[in-house]
Amino acid sequence: MIKKLTLFLSVAVIALTAGYVFAAPGNQNAVPSDTKIDKVEPTVLSEDELKQEASELHEEVAEPKEGVDVKEIIFHHLGDGYGWEVPFSHVYRIPLPVIVRAEDGNWFCFSSGKLTEVEIIKDEKTGKEVEELVPVIHEVERNGKTYRFMLAHVSTHANKVVEIFPLTAEEQEKTAELVFKTAKEKGTDPNLTPIDGYINVEGHFYREYRPFDISITKNVLALLIASVLVTAMVMGLVRYYNRKGFKAPRKGMGFMELLVDFVYTGVIKATLKDKAPKFAPYLLTCFFFILTMNLIGLIVIFPGGANLTGNIAITLVLAVLTFLMTNILGTKHYWKEIFWPDVPIWLKFPLPIMQLIEIFGIFTKPAALCVRLFANMMGGHMIVITLTLLIFIFAAFGAVATGGAVVISVLFSVFMLMLDVLVSFIQAYVFTTLSTMFISAAQESEHHHEEEHEEKEKALSNEVKA
Amino acid sequence: MELFTPEVGLVIWMFIAFAVLFLILAKFGWPVIVKNMEDRANTIDNGVEYAKEAKEQLDNARAEAAKFVEEAQSKQAEMLREAAKMKSDIIEEARKEASLEAQKVMDAAKVSIEQSRKEAELQFRNEVSKFSIEIAEKMVRRQMQDSKAQSELVNKLLDEIEKN
Repeated sequence: MIKKLTLFLSVAVIALTAGYVFAAPGNQNAVPSDTKIDKVEPTVLSEDELKQEASELHEEVAEPKEGVDVKEIIFHHLGDGYGWEVPFSHVYRIPLPVIVRAEDGNWFCFSSGKLTEVEIIKDEKTGKEVEELVPVIHEVERNGKTYRFMLAHVSTHANKVVEIFPLTAEEQEKTAELVFKTAKEKGTDPNLTPIDGYINVEGHFYREYRPFDISITKNVLALLIASVLVTAMVMGLVRYYNRKGFKAPRKGMGFMELLVDFVYTGVIKATLKDKAPKFAPYLLTCFFFILTMNLIGLIVIFPGGANLTGNIAITLVLAVLTFLMTNILGTKHYWKEIFWPDVPIWLKFPLPIMQLIEIFGIFTKPAALCVRLFANMMGGHMIVITLTLLIFIFAAFGAVATGGAVVISVLFSVFMLMLDVLVSFIQAYVFTTLSTMFISAAQESEHHHEEEHEEKEKALSNEVKA
Repeated sequence: MELFTPEVGLVIWMFIAFAVLFLILAKFGWPVIVKNMEDRANTIDNGVEYAKEAKEQLDNARAEAAKFVEEAQSKQAEMLREAAKMKSDIIEEARKEASLEAQKVMDAAKVSIEQSRKEAELQFRNEVSKFSIEIAEKMVRRQMQDSKAQSELVNKLLDEIEKN
């Protein structure tokens, strides 16, 4: 069994690494490159002065980029997207529905495929023709009005869907001036300098509005997949029980039951005692949801690859839920401990020092939960991507360097991914354990609070050490 | 930075996904699993307890059986001993009875011998007295006329005889 598991794990990890390696070059081109904007046709901007100024600035600041844009790729991998990448193709994305509320309150739902187009671009240096994904304006006619949506690039809302409104010639000019001013101040390329409220589309300026956006993005779909997976796992176990009664499950179901038992008996019941059944559903759901999200985040191709728990929105919701669970269901004694703790009187009156600390503590605990999970998972992803990108960075130094970099980075990536599998379990466990402790601290009653407190402190200090 | 600002859309979807997942699992999932696991644990605990008890009972039964066997053996030994005692008692008794009987027979024989001796003596006395009387008669007829002197003499003689 263990042999099989190890074999499976190593194969999976190698496959994952390979996935990263092959998926990476695709993403390097995923975002519209500078060349695209450089070969813009003359527009309103093309007044001689401005153009000259632009080219001067361009030469001064924006050095022509060589090789890969490491930062761009890393952030692309860590962030969300409107389509889902597939391996071995850097222009094709699985289209997902975009759901937005336009400025005038109308709702729009369209495929994310409408926001991009594949264009064949000739590389100036090598003369090769490459396919590239470029953003296009998606126009929708409704009630005699034209709505324009676009995937922002040179904008403060980069990589998000924005609604755009055409400007009059006068406004264009004004905006262009503003852009050049800002660019000069910041010392950046004016073609790539975003300013608030306006978007630069190949030299044209539009007013932009970031609509209320509840699109089914890559992360949302991954969330739904994770939910379905967790439901399937849990309901599978329930079905097994219903069919087989008291017979202990084996293999996969046995592992599932082992995990449930590990969390329920080892953490929830040990900490919450007789109140365990009340909070167990929330805590168990937390554990399995986080664990599933962590693990599918490590798989690089379709059903996985979304960096879910490394996204602050996800961990924020989880932490807020724990916060609500703790404080809404907290006992009188818990609130008494906050507003009138058992300390020498001068610490709480007339200056409410302890109260301030305690109230601060109410918020820092879930904040720590949120940031811990987010930072751990994001860090893991970032390290793996960076290690993989080493190959492309070293590619500039010739074949030998590339070969060496491949070997080293694959080895390190495999090691890191294995570590990430471990971290996935540990972080899910830590989140659940800490949530249990916060909830249990708010469930204290008068009598046995002292011994429990000691116990909890001990457990907490252990946790911190770990 | 983009990474550190939560997306509103994603927050909403995460909340919905978690809420739905939680409601489904809290209603149909976790209670069933937790209950089943605890029930199974209890059943196993009970089973172990039962087995322990059964083993104890078995051990007790074994000890009891051994006790019974021992008891039976001791009883048997006692019975044998008793039987032997009874045998000797019976023999003793029989012997005693026999000797008693023999004594009785002997006593009876003695009595009858005594009686017959007495009878014989009486008869003999009678005979003797008859003879004596006859003798005396004869003598007296010859020697004495006085009957009184005669009977006195006779009695004196008789007493002498008796003393012998």
